Amino acid sequence: MHFLRHSLPYALALLAIGTVWQIAVWVSQANVAILPPPLLTLATLWELIANGDLAKHTLASLSRVVSAWGLSVLVAVPLALVMARSRTVERLLDPVIELFRPISPLAWIPLAILWFGIGETGKIFIIFVATFFPILLNTVSGVKGVDPVLIRAGRVLGCNNEATLFWRVILPAAMPTIIVGLRIAFGTGWAAIIAAELVAAQSGLGYLIADGMEILRSDLVLAGMIAIGVLGVLIDSIFRFIGNQYDWGPA
Amino acid sequence: MMRKDSHSKPIEVSNLSMTFRSDDGTSINALAPTNLEIEPGQFVAIVGPSGCGKSTLLNILAGFLTPSEGQASIGNEAVAGPSIDHGVVFQDYALFPWLTVLENVAFGLKSQGLGRSERNEIALHFLDVVSLRDFSDKRPRELSGGMKQRVAIARTFATNPSVILMDEPFGALDALTRRFLQQQLLKIWSESRKTVLFITHSVQEAVFLADRIIVMTARPGRIKSDFLIDMDHPRDFSSDAFRRIEKMVFDSLDEELAKTFGLADNQLQAD
Repeated sequence: MHFLRHSLPYALALLAIGTVWQIAVWVSQANVAILPPPLLTLATLWELIANGDLAKHTLASLSRVVSAWGLSVLVAVPLALVMARSRTVERLLDPVIELFRPISPLAWIPLAILWFGIGETGKIFIIFVATFFPILLNTVSGVKGVDPVLIRAGRVLGCNNEATLFWRVILPAAMPTIIVGLRIAFGTGWAAIIAAELVAAQSGLGYLIADGMEILRSDLVLAGMIAIGVLGVLIDSIFRFIGNQYDWGPA
Repeated sequence: MMRKDSHSKPIEVSNLSMTFRSDDGTSINALAPTNLEIEPGQFVAIVGPSGCGKSTLLNILAGFLTPSEGQASIGNEAVAGPSIDHGVVFQDYALFPWLTVLENVAFGLKSQGLGRSERNEIALHFLDVVSLRDFSDKRPRELSGGMKQRVAIARTFATNPSVILMDEPFGALDALTRRFLQQQLLKIWSESRKTVLFITHSVQEAVFLADRIIVMTARPGRIKSDFLIDMDHPRDFSSDAFRRIEKMVFDSLDEELAKTFGLADNQLQAD
């Protein structure tokens, strides 16, 4: 029942998109290589699933995002903790962050190619840039937003040093905000990897759709796009589920 | 019951004063040089007008603030910072929302290095005392304000501190809940007879709970009067003895309220 209530809007949305798409095909009379009908695209998608291509490319994209995102977590979370607990560090780093933040991660693609070539490192670098700021900024605001009275309570209940206080009070208290940052970061990372793979890659979902364009197979392009969208929603709902476990409400 | 090594320590405050400096360079004298001695096991209530420095005094004793001058010591040791031996009950409960009620009460016990089964045993005992054992597995958000404060009181008493500092703990609660919590506090306190410093705005509450009531002056806070209350518990709000003490405290307080609100003493009396 719960599942049905949440998936029903998605089913309706898919139906609506399919309908509009089919109507567009009829009205435009476009060449099948330019705008394939939805059912043909679904057949192509099924073929990609059946022959293992989709799994292979998904795995390639996903492993890049996961490793770069993980690297971001390892760097951004500790840095954010220091920034949130020290005014001096925050004042020093804030202007740097504010200058870098408006630069789209995609703007780093040319440099990434020049520096790292078209191998894995360049793509991981781009996703790192894309995921770094949401994680950093949310962690900073999460830690700064911890109710000072909880910190006092932690101290009078035996958290005698910063490390204990951090593990037992600050981190759990900031966790809901941190998880939002992790989720947003994964989303931006997922969007950026496709773009990075469009430009320079031999595998991945971005490569799959770029390849489809080159061989004039827009059904491949659209099937790849559907896969990107569906996977994005799935990953996001996993994060939402994790986030709900930490949604303990006000004290 | 467990942990018979219940102990309580004296509190001593000598020439303690506090001046806050605000951003625009002006300084606010929150606490005038104050001397105070509290015997071990005594339940002391402090009443005074808003901004009289009573919370400042408590925050210094808790180790949250460093005094400008003078010294605060607990058990003949100068207060150097927050300590698990000096329990604090906050006005806004300060429960950890990610932990269950039981885990909240056991939080300090974990710091004390007790094993899980021992922690749970002690925590459950104190939840029993505040009649909340059935709520052990709930999260704080599922509790009412009064229940939250009972959990917070259980959490503080569970760690067996030698003094307990309470900063207007019932200030945010409605009158009926407040009465119930006052009774529960006396119950849990009578089990261990800790030294308690209890800050309140309510004279009635002070007279109902305390062995001794200290009235503080308007800013900068000083101790104005010091009453010893020699009445057995439970105290009857409507008894003559209760009313007489209440009036004594009010009389002392009224002069300070008049100063706070810039009125002449007789104006207030006339109201």
